[in-house]
Amino acid sequence: MKLPFFRSPDGREGGTPADPTEAPRMGGQVLPGADAPLDRRDETVLPTEPAVSDAQGEVPPTVTAPAVPVGPTKIAARDISVFYGDKQALYDVSLDIPDKTVTSFIGPSGCGKSTFLRCMNRMNDTIQGARVTGQILMDGDDINARSVDPVLLRAQVGMVFQKPNPFPKTIYENVAYGPRIHGLTSSKSEMDGIVEVSLKRAGLWDEVADRLHSAGTGLSGGQQQRLVIARAIAVNPEVILMDEPCSALDPIATAKIEELIDELREQYCIVIVTHSMAQAARVSQRTAFFHLGRLVEHGDTEEIFTNPRERRTLDYITGRFG
Amino acid sequence: MDPARIDRDYPQGTNFQLLVAQQQLARMGVVDDAQGTQATAYRTLLSSELKFRAADLVRRDPSVIGQTVEITAPMSDDADLYYKGEITRDEDAALRRVSDRQMEWLDDLKRDGSVTSGFNTLLFTQGDSTEPELAGVLGAVVGSALMLLVTALIAIPLGVGAAVYLEEFARKGRITDLIEVNINNLAAVPSIVYGLLGLALFINFAHLPRSSPLVGGLVLALMALPTIIIATRSSLKAVPPSIREAALAMGASRTQTVFHHVLPLAMPGVMTGTIISMAHALGETAPLLLIGMVSFVPGIPGAITEPAGALPSLVYIWENASELAFHERTAAAILVLLVFMIVMNAAAILLRRRFERRW
Amino acid sequence: MIWFLIPVVAVLAVVAYAAGLALAKRRAAGHPQAHSRPQQHGYYALIWVAAPALAVIILAGIFSGPIAQNLISAGLPDVVQDMEPFRRDAFLNDARLLGEGQRPFQTWTGPLAEALESEAARSAGIQRTLMWGGIAGAALAALLGGLLAFAQIGPTLRARNRVEGWIGGLLFACSVVAILTTVGIVFSLVFDAVRFFDRVSITEFLFGTQWSPQIAIRADQVGSTGAFGAVPLFAGTFLIMLIAMAVAAPVGLFSAIYLSEYAGPITRGVVKPMLEILAGVPTVVYGFFAALTVGPAFREFFNGIGALLVGGPLDGLGQYLMLVQNQMALVAGTVMGIMLIPFVSSLSDDIINAVPQSLRDGSYAMGATKSETVSRVLLPAALPGIAGAMLLAVSRAIGETMIVTMAAGLAANLTLNPLDTVTTVTVQIVTLLTGDQEFDSAKTLAAFGLGLTLFIVTLLLNIVAQRIVQTYREQYD
Repeated sequence: MKLPFFRSPDGREGGTPADPTEAPRMGGQVLPGADAPLDRRDETVLPTEPAVSDAQGEVPPTVTAPAVPVGPTKIAARDISVFYGDKQALYDVSLDIPDKTVTSFIGPSGCGKSTFLRCMNRMNDTIQGARVTGQILMDGDDINARSVDPVLLRAQVGMVFQKPNPFPKTIYENVAYGPRIHGLTSSKSEMDGIVEVSLKRAGLWDEVADRLHSAGTGLSGGQQQRLVIARAIAVNPEVILMDEPCSALDPIATAKIEELIDELREQYCIVIVTHSMAQAARVSQRTAFFHLGRLVEHGDTEEIFTNPRERRTLDYITGRFG
Repeated sequence: MDPARIDRDYPQGTNFQLLVAQQQLARMGVVDDAQGTQATAYRTLLSSELKFRAADLVRRDPSVIGQTVEITAPMSDDADLYYKGEITRDEDAALRRVSDRQMEWLDDLKRDGSVTSGFNTLLFTQGDSTEPELAGVLGAVVGSALMLLVTALIAIPLGVGAAVYLEEFARKGRITDLIEVNINNLAAVPSIVYGLLGLALFINFAHLPRSSPLVGGLVLALMALPTIIIATRSSLKAVPPSIREAALAMGASRTQTVFHHVLPLAMPGVMTGTIISMAHALGETAPLLLIGMVSFVPGIPGAITEPAGALPSLVYIWENASELAFHERTAAAILVLLVFMIVMNAAAILLRRRFERRW
Repeated sequence: MIWFLIPVVAVLAVVAYAAGLALAKRRAAGHPQAHSRPQQHGYYALIWVAAPALAVIILAGIFSGPIAQNLISAGLPDVVQDMEPFRRDAFLNDARLLGEGQRPFQTWTGPLAEALESEAARSAGIQRTLMWGGIAGAALAALLGGLLAFAQIGPTLRARNRVEGWIGGLLFACSVVAILTTVGIVFSLVFDAVRFFDRVSITEFLFGTQWSPQIAIRADQVGSTGAFGAVPLFAGTFLIMLIAMAVAAPVGLFSAIYLSEYAGPITRGVVKPMLEILAGVPTVVYGFFAALTVGPAFREFFNGIGALLVGGPLDGLGQYLMLVQNQMALVAGTVMGIMLIPFVSSLSDDIINAVPQSLRDGSYAMGATKSETVSRVLLPAALPGIAGAMLLAVSRAIGETMIVTMAAGLAANLTLNPLDTVTTVTVQIVTLLTGDQEFDSAKTLAAFGLGLTLFIVTLLLNIVAQRIVQTYREQYD
């Protein structure tokens, strides 16, 4: 956006009205002004964010992020372009995503970060008129190859959406659905075990253990989102994609999810799309900045937030646009 | 029960109406002439149901022969109309169907309490008949039920399948547009045109049996198809895309997504639409006229290939009948039809209220 | 009949499923990365066993009759060959019955009796051959399909995708039925209508003013050629439609306005389901109501007025009113209008609800009253949509059959007087096609000519109406 001092409260592109259904998020609050020093900006958010603020020191953006990525390359994207009909949404994106690491995609609305995310489990295949060119290698195998069944790919690459979308079934059935259709269990007790482990790993077990057979849609928003994460974990994925998983949640639920993401990092390759730069700074080790369908810059989160190479990145993270 | 006139082995050969008429006349002291005109005139006041019931009685228990037994049976339609005041003495004696003499007899019977008025349950236990007092709706109800069964078995799977294909599987393009316009127009084609289709295609071309519930059901199925498709599509549309995305992202295939999640969620809407279209099919008459379901069918159909009537066409037949008493029967048949319609529609409305889901 | 094989195929299919399941489990034992689940392999085997066998059975069921007939008539002895076609058919039918071990209908004598014996044996033989051929074919198809499937089953077979391909094909076939219905309608109407227009020229049909098909029955009758000028029918249909719309349009529209703008939620909650149930009342019931209640009531009313007028200055009118019959156009039209009220009301209700709330709010904010808002803002905004809804109602009125069949007359009068008896296109179709009929006469074929006209007119009305309503909706979406 060209107006340097105008921002919508939720950190979206200036002209876009805020979605009234979304709870106020931290993203807006961490961006008080264009010229504020980076280290001071996040201090304003600390009181609303106890889970993170307590433990952290002077430089919040890098608090949870180790200095270097911890895993080898899991996904390697080469020259990915995406077209919706005649419109090109993504231009020649090449990016390596390491394993056992949280990688965040940031950028203004419509910049192509969700589109890129959806390439990694071929969800774009389900949209009519969508066309993807380029290569995405997962562990060295091209996931767009004819020999790859996208349905099986999606079992390996779990996905969590912006709005919590549990199936309108019981909590148990939500988690058990994936293992059931993929034939991961052969007995009821095995299934019970998977459900319990998945819910525990998603940090939801204690809250729902006594009502596994009540409706999943009856949970609160944050609980629903953790249920959805449990559902994704249940099929033993290698990669978990998260498309703005906290944008519909309140700050406390967000903190819980972020904590969970940090725990899951040890076992999975996690990619998270977020509008909140503070969130990217808190949970991710690697950050990629997208703008107008292009990958502008990527690197260690600390690097991107403290010392961006590109002017546009600096403008975005300092709130000059977006 | 005169032993001289009843054959023990063939009781239905006896003219019980005449027998009763003669006995009644004898009791009143009326001496009949040689041709028995009086008894014949009296006889017409009694319905042939009397004969069936008497014969039945004799067959079950031959020992009643020679004894005096009391048999309750409906009066004929003319007697009935007289009692109800539909036929009065004011009318021209030559034109009315009950003579002065018969009226006196009827008045006598009423005075000595031999005639009671009550609900004629034959309405529910008999097929159609040429005699109004014996005509019932059972044959037509069974015919309608068989027809609706054929309709449901064909239209529901086809309609739901087509809707699922168009809404969930088809790539949007020329062909789906064409099918869509086509279905919208089919829903508005006059029902009688479907009758012409049925006549030309199923009867004249495929030589399926005329007047049968099979052909009726096929025609009604084609009629109900667009309605079911439209209702199913709109309830599939109402299922939010996030459910589909959730299932697909879990590694469910499109087919699994549809049959495990989307269709079950759309089911209440599908059922509402289906019940309404079935109710509509039940009341549809015009196409049935053209495929011969207005013929007189006395029995109760036992198979979908036998000739049968249907409730709405029975209403049409009875309304057209010349006997005045059939008009009352028509009203009764309409009530039966309306009860079915209202129950079905109310079920659909309740179902919608109960399961209506706001996303 | 070969259809008895279908349950056999069902059993085979279940066996194939179980076998496929077991085989897939065994072959996948060493492979952790099997593509599809064993059940999906089972379904794959099931489909490949059942589908080819069913195809053979259906083909055999449809074609074995004609084939047998051809074979039998190909080798007939001369005695039979020389019979009249009608008797030959009866003879062959009896031969078939005898071959099946039943009693023939007729007794045939002389050489025919011998021929009957031999023909019966031959017919039975042919039937047997065909039957066994069908069974063998079905068994072979099931076997080949099964072998194919079982050979393929293994960890790399994409059984799920294949099975889902079959399901998709089945669903596509379902939606093709809709197209086939239209094709069937057009085909059956056009086929017989063309035969009709061979006998009666299309201009005479469309522009002729004489309609009297009934006298065409007997050749020696006066006017035996019949007259097939359909203009009186069109006029009658139009008149009744006009009367119906005069009743339904205002009442339906105003009730929709009341329900959507004035009524409270409770009234709405009660009236809307009532209207829906009213919409579900079969038309034959309205027909009964028209013929036995409204008809006599209207007649008495007009006869009564006529009696008052007779002898006065309007003596002529009085005389006319005295002679008004039950079956006047006004009766059928009024009752049809009542039938259309729920239809018009619910369509208009949808249309009015599609007008954005912001338009109403804008009007109220200017200080307009409710009725000003309705008449100055709402109705003009909704007008195109309402016009579309009315066109749909007109199409319904034109195609409605039962009310007019029961309450309108048969006399094809060319008049616009609502107290006169008129007849409509649909009434004539019913009259021409009910009762005994010979299928090739111009009389019965005329029904298809009328049906085609009716179909085209209602189709055009619907297309125009749907286009209007759709454009209207998109405007506010």
